[in-house]
Amino acid sequence: MRKKPWRQVILDGATYLATLLSVFALGMIFFYVIREGAHLLSFDLLRGDYHARGFVGLVEEETQGSFNLTGQQGENRYLVERLGLVLEQSFDLAGDGVIKVAYIDEASPLRRLTNQDPTSEQSFIGLETGAVLRRVSYVDHPTSLTSRGAASMARDMNDPDRALREVIFSTEGGGIRGSLITTLYLIFITLAIALPFGVLTAIYFNEFAPINRVTKAMRNFIETLTGVPSIIYGLLGITVFVPLTVRLTPAENANLIAGGLTLAVILLPVIIRTTEEALKVVSQDHRFASLALGANKTQTTFKVVLPQALPGILTATFLGIGRVIGESAALIFVLGAAIRDSVRIFEPSTSLAVHIWSMMTDEPANIALSSTIALIILLIVLTLNLAIKTTVWAFDWKGRRS
Amino acid sequence: MSQKHTALSKIDALTQRTLTIFGIVSASFILLIAFFITIRGIIPFITDNNGAGAVNVWLFLTETVWLRGPTFVSSAYGVGFLIIQTLYLAFLSLFISFPVGVLTALFIAKIAPKRLASVLRSIVELMASIPSIVYGLVGVGLFLPWIHALARALGQQSAGGLGTLGVMIVLALMSLPTITAISEVSIRSVDQSLEHASLALGATPTQTRFKITLLAAKSGIFSSAILAIGRALGEATAVSLVAGNARSGPNFGLFNITSTLTSTMLEGMKETVGIDYDIRFSVGIILMIVILITNLILNTLKKKVGNVHA
Amino acid sequence: MMTTVFNIENLNLFYGDFHALKNIDMVIYKNQVTALIGPSGCGKSTFIRCLNRMNDLIPEAKMEGCVRFDGEECQIGGYDVIGLRKRVGMVFQKPNPFPMSIFDNVAFGPRQQGIKQKEVLQGIVEKALKQAALYEEVKDRLTSSALSLSGGQQQRLCIARALALEPEVILMDEPTSALDPLATQRIESLINDLKEDYTIVIVTHSMQQAARISDYTAFFYMGELREIDTTEKIFKAPRLKQTEDYITGRFG
Repeated sequence: MRKKPWRQVILDGATYLATLLSVFALGMIFFYVIREGAHLLSFDLLRGDYHARGFVGLVEEETQGSFNLTGQQGENRYLVERLGLVLEQSFDLAGDGVIKVAYIDEASPLRRLTNQDPTSEQSFIGLETGAVLRRVSYVDHPTSLTSRGAASMARDMNDPDRALREVIFSTEGGGIRGSLITTLYLIFITLAIALPFGVLTAIYFNEFAPINRVTKAMRNFIETLTGVPSIIYGLLGITVFVPLTVRLTPAENANLIAGGLTLAVILLPVIIRTTEEALKVVSQDHRFASLALGANKTQTTFKVVLPQALPGILTATFLGIGRVIGESAALIFVLGAAIRDSVRIFEPSTSLAVHIWSMMTDEPANIALSSTIALIILLIVLTLNLAIKTTVWAFDWKGRRS
Repeated sequence: MSQKHTALSKIDALTQRTLTIFGIVSASFILLIAFFITIRGIIPFITDNNGAGAVNVWLFLTETVWLRGPTFVSSAYGVGFLIIQTLYLAFLSLFISFPVGVLTALFIAKIAPKRLASVLRSIVELMASIPSIVYGLVGVGLFLPWIHALARALGQQSAGGLGTLGVMIVLALMSLPTITAISEVSIRSVDQSLEHASLALGATPTQTRFKITLLAAKSGIFSSAILAIGRALGEATAVSLVAGNARSGPNFGLFNITSTLTSTMLEGMKETVGIDYDIRFSVGIILMIVILITNLILNTLKKKVGNVHA
Repeated sequence: MMTTVFNIENLNLFYGDFHALKNIDMVIYKNQVTALIGPSGCGKSTFIRCLNRMNDLIPEAKMEGCVRFDGEECQIGGYDVIGLRKRVGMVFQKPNPFPMSIFDNVAFGPRQQGIKQKEVLQGIVEKALKQAALYEEVKDRLTSSALSLSGGQQQRLCIARALALEPEVILMDEPTSALDPLATQRIESLINDLKEDYTIVIVTHSMQQAARISDYTAFFYMGELREIDTTEKIFKAPRLKQTEDYITGRFG
């Protein structure tokens, strides 16, 4: 065997190294997102509110007592026998350290506090299991803070010398329900607009359009859309779709319909191209056979040709869903970056991708929860990729069999 | 096609007319975008912007500071440095993504056994479908600390790792699958008889891959680079997370903070009226023009390079 | 007595399960043109590709037996195929110049061997192009694309490209099948000239071509070498009926 000159060894080495790097890059992304975000993944996260709702309750009458809390001991749990309360050093859905109410006795005085919120009609509020304690202040004593930890807070609260004055607590925040629902809404609205529009346009170009300079230019115009950066679509959204929807719908400002319309334009070239590719492979014989049976062109197209292009349309749908889930820049422009817990289609809110952007541009950035959302997005993208492969495979298989 | 000669029934004529409308509307979106953005983007130049004064076009294009003077009061906006930085970052990212992408494509198309090649192709597809915001997140969480450490090790200042190098890496990662996928297709479709001729001349497989295969696939490889540049120029959210959003420039140092046309457009999204809002559209126009001109130049270059021996 | 270049002994080749070449024993003489004829799929192209080990590129191809080149050892695994291919050039069915200039095409082989000096390369290119009878037609445009040449010129360029390495043998796999009659004629007369310095093995579908240019003719059928002799004998008085049938066009 001739010895390989060093130059060739380097070139070969570079090729292998490059491939390793590419694989490593993908591995790194998954590794990072899983390492940072997997621990927050839970059903409660998907269900929960992002914004913690805060309450300020005044302790009017404090009944001194001693509650029996046996059986409530545990790791990171601290008992407050005086008030019938168990505190737990814990984390909220977003991964921030908090003090949670792990248990509260039915007869605890903290079940009935005077609501200090003047805008609320509720005059009494009460601590519940799962609530997050933010601060507890006492008459003539220094306040207990979250930052000192649950042990310290429990000790303070158990101290019979300290008369409770005010309890500030909140619901647990950090959930992503709002953004999840927004994303689902956006997928639905976008596809409802883009799919019929794109499929019909594809049918026009593949089945009905004459081949001339005008239609060629039209195709080019549509193809050009793929090269337009998404941030520019955002500009289109705020100048055209937001005013349009404000005029035509109950919306008063940016809204999910406008967001869906913007995304629909982004999807349009993808759906048109994918559908057209599927239409192209439909055998010309089937068209002729249908026409020969006396069907007109419309019937032939919609009854014979289109059904055979369904796998292509399905692929386009999956690609579209992926694009909607991943889109950020355009949506930031059209819908803003304010995370909402209650989602209405005539109001703005954030999708999962924008949720990440919103948290990453916050001070301080919440990398843990961002990674969890990224992990969710990656899992969806992975599923979509598999779905596309399965669709193509199933179609090939069916095609080969017949 | 025979459509022209086929007499259409009434219902077919109706269908055709309806579908034509869909075709026309789909084709007109690009014009709609160009029209509305131009209309909005031109406002800062031709009105006095509620007393702030019209934006000077020449200064706008050449300035080295985003805004001289206080917000809402001044109209001395400038994007000259942003244009340069945007182009600089896009081409800089190509220094990583192009060699890695093309060589990966070469491996997939010519070296890897069938099964491995199909696995690698799936990996590339998956990378291509990862949203840019995820790349941005990984950039912030994983790369910025490394860059910061690297800067410190080299005795350089760095703003927590934010800046040119971070953008370069994030953009390179994002465009890697684009370059790999398109190059792979064009490398795979190289006429095998060329490679055989080279091998028959006593060239080694390695020499053949680098001297003949890549040469014969250069048109497709060049296209992949053009596409990658286009994407890099227009990428917004991922870049904005790692750029550091410099308000003046141009900054070229790897550890310097930087900014692009898109990252600046994303800044201060809270303002919704007045010049600070409208100026975004002007930046949008510039972005479109930059992308258009870059594409034109690169495509001409591609034709020139590609035609030399084709 | 003529010297032999190739001694082929009991050569077998399999593509997976398919037995493509069966027990071939054959000798190829120096400075002679040997034509390989036979119906499509008879194994003649496969055989010629054994001589410079191009079959190694097909993963499922497995070679057994001996191809002794220039009195060397038996070729088996670990053999220096790169070195062999430098000494045994090949011209393909369809002209396949590289997408580079005429000069670079011819200089490709020597450059891969590490020859860098401009003057040396110029000398090699000029000599090869002259040998391939192409020099006069292209001497003023050596830097223009090889793809701008006509089909016949491209094939002569491919011959020049092989000659630049100064091989001992040139293998030609139906080199004129993609060319018009005039270009074919030029290639044939070129082969005639080249035989002075080179050993040529050519696969051809055209009986007339084999008769016109070759000294020896080998008839392949179903992966077997049925008959080999001087061209004169094969065409005037073949030993086998099958050979005669094929030559006279009764099958094939």
